[in-house]
Amino acid sequence: MTQPEPVARGVEASVIAAELRALGIDHVICIPDSYQKTLIALLQDDPAIRFITACTEDEAMGINAGLYVGGKNPMLVIQNNGIFASINTIKAIPLDARVPTFIFVGQYQRDPALPIEESKSRAVRMVEPTLDVWGVPRYRLEGPEDVGNIRAAYERAHETMGPAALIVGAPTL
Amino acid sequence: MERNEAINILAEGRGGAVSVVTMQSVYPWHQAGQGETLHIDASQCMGSASSIGLGLAAARPDKKVMVLDGDGSLLMQLGSLVTIAGQSPENFYHFVFANSLHQSTGNQQLPGAGRFDWTALAKGAGYADALRVEAAEDLIERLPRIWAMRGPVLIELVIEREDREPLWAGVPMAKQTALLKEQLAAS
Repeated sequence: MTQPEPVARGVEASVIAAELRALGIDHVICIPDSYQKTLIALLQDDPAIRFITACTEDEAMGINAGLYVGGKNPMLVIQNNGIFASINTIKAIPLDARVPTFIFVGQYQRDPALPIEESKSRAVRMVEPTLDVWGVPRYRLEGPEDVGNIRAAYERAHETMGPAALIVGAPTL
Repeated sequence: MERNEAINILAEGRGGAVSVVTMQSVYPWHQAGQGETLHIDASQCMGSASSIGLGLAAARPDKKVMVLDGDGSLLMQLGSLVTIAGQSPENFYHFVFANSLHQSTGNQQLPGAGRFDWTALAKGAGYADALRVEAAEDLIERLPRIWAMRGPVLIELVIEREDREPLWAGVPMAKQTALLKEQLAAS
């Protein structure tokens, strides 16, 4: 009996990091996420990036705002539960204060063999509808063919002066 | 001391520091003429002032950053003390207006009021230093020495209860972020 093809496939962390370098990202604010652990490890060791681990996603949004206003080019790396935890701050800072906020959101506890909509995890299923309710643009990273969505999400955040999320659907490699 | 006394002393002694102000210190800071230059209010995101200040301090180590926080606000993102200490911004000055009350919502008492110690929390989190100032004349005397300290430093300002309706400056944060970004780029 053969296994079904996974819906989502991991992307090499080095490929993602190269995209981030091309975008000029200079600060990464992170609340650790197991789906992005290889990416996190790579970014932590990147001499071109100041890597800041925060205690909560609320803090991460504030730090991102201060860095952006101060002339830097930051981004966030968080997990799906962090979106739920930080809705009030997403409302106040990226949306109302119009701060470009480029966010990688790991789909913690997703089974990559299943579509997001069929996941047993409520967090996996609800993160995109939650972002939609708040008008936060979102893109998927479901495999190597979606790498272009990294730039698309970044550019959307800066064009609209607000948040934009890249939903990382499988563990980075 | 009264909040307005502390605000006026800090306004007088601000120098060129970038200011991040939240909750019931926002209106008097604007009234003291400090709301137009190198300034942002942390509005509608209670607890975020310290994190915004950290981002500014990290982005611009050449400038002192002063955060005028509230004790109730800081409790909402208490972990930021640890995050700030972890980054060790030497240009970060964290003034906490401590009245043990949520003044903006009607002077409800804070959880644990009178049982916790801001200077101990800051030092325990890893701040370079922390001190408590109770009287306006002490703040006047100590402020020059505070600015000479290596951050991050937390300064607990013991503030008297005020029985008045909450006041707001009403300046949209989006306008302030754009202006501050422009001012910082030019300075």
